[in-house]
Amino acid sequence: MINTIWKIVIREWKRVFRLPVHYWVLILMPPLLFCFYSYIYINPKLENLPIAVWDEDQSPVSRELTFLLEQTATIHITHQVNSLPELQSLIKRGAVLAAVHFPANMYHSLQTRHPATITLYTNGAALVPAKLIYKDAAQVIIMGGAGVTLQKFVKSGMNSPKAMALVQPIKLTAYTLYNADYNYQNYLAPGLITVGLQMLIIMVSVLLLNYELKTNTMVELLEISNNNAFAVIIGKTLAHIGIAWLNFILIVAVVLPLFEISVPGTTLKFFLLYNLLSLACIGIGMLVSSIFNDTMLATDIALFYTSPAFVFSGFTFPRWAMPWYDQYYSQIMPYTHFLDGFFKIYYMNLPLHYAFAEIFSLLLFIGLTFPLSIIFFRLKIKKIIANENQSMA
Amino acid sequence: MKTSQWHKFIQLILREASMIIKDHSLLLTLLVAPILYAFFYGSIYINKEEEEVQLAIVDMDHSDLSRQLSDQVNNLQIIDLVSAANLQDAQEMMYKGKVQGFLYLQSGLEKKVLSLQPANIVLAANAARFLPSSDLLSGVTQVALTVGGGVRLKYYEMQGLNEASAMKEVMPLNFDYRPLFNERVSYGAFLLPGILALILQQTLLLGLTGSIAAERDKSSVKTWVETAGRNPSVALYGKGAFYWILFFCYALFFLTVNFNALKLPIRGSFFEILLVTALFLLTLIPMGILIGSWFKNQLLCVQIMAFSTYPIFLITGYSWPYESLPLPLQWLSALLPTTPFLSIYTALVQEGGTIYQRFGDVVHLMILWLFYTGLSLWRIRELSKQTLI
Repeated sequence: MINTIWKIVIREWKRVFRLPVHYWVLILMPPLLFCFYSYIYINPKLENLPIAVWDEDQSPVSRELTFLLEQTATIHITHQVNSLPELQSLIKRGAVLAAVHFPANMYHSLQTRHPATITLYTNGAALVPAKLIYKDAAQVIIMGGAGVTLQKFVKSGMNSPKAMALVQPIKLTAYTLYNADYNYQNYLAPGLITVGLQMLIIMVSVLLLNYELKTNTMVELLEISNNNAFAVIIGKTLAHIGIAWLNFILIVAVVLPLFEISVPGTTLKFFLLYNLLSLACIGIGMLVSSIFNDTMLATDIALFYTSPAFVFSGFTFPRWAMPWYDQYYSQIMPYTHFLDGFFKIYYMNLPLHYAFAEIFSLLLFIGLTFPLSIIFFRLKIKKIIANENQSMA
Repeated sequence: MKTSQWHKFIQLILREASMIIKDHSLLLTLLVAPILYAFFYGSIYINKEEEEVQLAIVDMDHSDLSRQLSDQVNNLQIIDLVSAANLQDAQEMMYKGKVQGFLYLQSGLEKKVLSLQPANIVLAANAARFLPSSDLLSGVTQVALTVGGGVRLKYYEMQGLNEASAMKEVMPLNFDYRPLFNERVSYGAFLLPGILALILQQTLLLGLTGSIAAERDKSSVKTWVETAGRNPSVALYGKGAFYWILFFCYALFFLTVNFNALKLPIRGSFFEILLVTALFLLTLIPMGILIGSWFKNQLLCVQIMAFSTYPIFLITGYSWPYESLPLPLQWLSALLPTTPFLSIYTALVQEGGTIYQRFGDVVHLMILWLFYTGLSLWRIRELSKQTLI
């Protein structure tokens, strides 16, 4: 049996390097795709975004705040506007992404103990820049407000520590763990790479059995395996796990270090989870391949199943915010479970036992799909043998 | 166009329809996938924004102030507080993925505030997931400022000021945030229009490239070119017309039915949106024919094209600003019709802009149309030579 499986493994490797539908997807595409995803975010933070200032006050305070806004990482003041329609027009033309409005008589109001309001307008249709601009602008303006309050207290004769405590009675110290400066490359590249991997594996796995019919090699395969469905499926799985390991080496030894996005101390845990994802994906692909003889149909099913995995997994938009039916649907994708575990063992670098629930889910996929694939393929073999006997008779 | 050419043009449209009906993969991609994907992907973001992000709270103070703080945080639509016994407990909840962070209220918090000493509260947010952590951060910051304002209000009232005067003193400089064109800065309202446009593009490209690859796979390029009277322009637009009509109908469907179902506003002129979409589809057709013509195998074509969706979307400037892309990717992005189209489409649909305000992008799209038309005509000529020899 071991000999037979080994023969199938070698034969499958040869097929991977010979058939374009295999080597394009498993060998040529991964380095291109993974480097591309990492390269997109080579400038991992958004900086110097074009902002307008609408200064109706023209006072020392508004000029000081404008100066402080310009000092932040995201804000770069490029335009001066004089009205809301003018600002809207600039946004619609794509010339600016936001504007800060200082109202007329702001300085005077502050001096005469009347509150004034500074308004930040952002283009909500450009969500990522809008959120980043808000973060920096809010910090400057809130600090500016605190400065005004502090001056008032100090002028009234209050001592500095007391005044400080009243300016900010409750100081919030915020720790953004595991990606302190919201680095988009560290966040998105590993996720995109792994979702690409599951897609690559499934897209090829759906062709593992039925493509033998297309290349007229099924009889040869059955001869090597002595008509043993178990040997065929195990042999092909081992061969493709070997290819998956090649891609793992590509990721952890080339792509992640090249783009400096590795998380030290996570390789072994990542390797374990990666193997489970690969096996689950091969299992699903093998099952589809054992049921459908039509390779185009199998590929269409794979495409429909794998392409939404990224959005359904909750990577960018959390699953709890999705309607209940989509939350259920996301559970039938191995990538969802992989990602939950990947967050823990890779992004958060936690011990492996925190990902046991996700490991169990991936094992369920493996435990269900492989036996079913063997059953379906065994039925197919019987049919093929019956057809062979009939044609010989 | 001469009558005979019109005849050939119509014949090519009918030929394409008959080819698609016979090919179940093309049938699925062109007739089922666009509608199915539009509802399928659309449903994910139907709630538009996340709510009730779980945040653990460790209240070591057990005072009126700490309870007021927790109540205010819990009252935010975005946050759902979960009680934790101590820091370890909260940390463990975060590690297990049950909460997205924790808020720590130290013992003696109220005492410090009342005695005008600096008092600290600590928020630890799991930034491994960007959206929940940034929402937690802005929500808790807002509450800390509000409660802080309340403390100052009490101080002024104790100093003898009446409520109205005290209110004026509490926040001398206020900050007002007004996001335009997506007032709630919701993820769904931002992403959905782009996703629908991408579904339109990718299903068209998958179908059209698949159809061209199938022509080569089944050695029917000769029939295609001969039906067009060996005229590359008729071959290009005869085949492409079928896709243009079909996908223009889908665009209409998305802009009416899907936009309504997903409660997405269209702020600009509907006519201008249709005009730009028509030009966009017209540009995609020669581009699809050009790409498909390099494949001899329909299966391989579908496989490769399946991996184009995310890379295309990520470099169009929709989710990540175009100017922040590395220069070579900016050049590549400029070669995609999606880039100028999404820029105009966003301005029209979401910002209520006009075509004139994005005139540069319109010219960009027209240049790409001419560019891909030229290349695809050349390629059809090449294929004709190969097959007709």
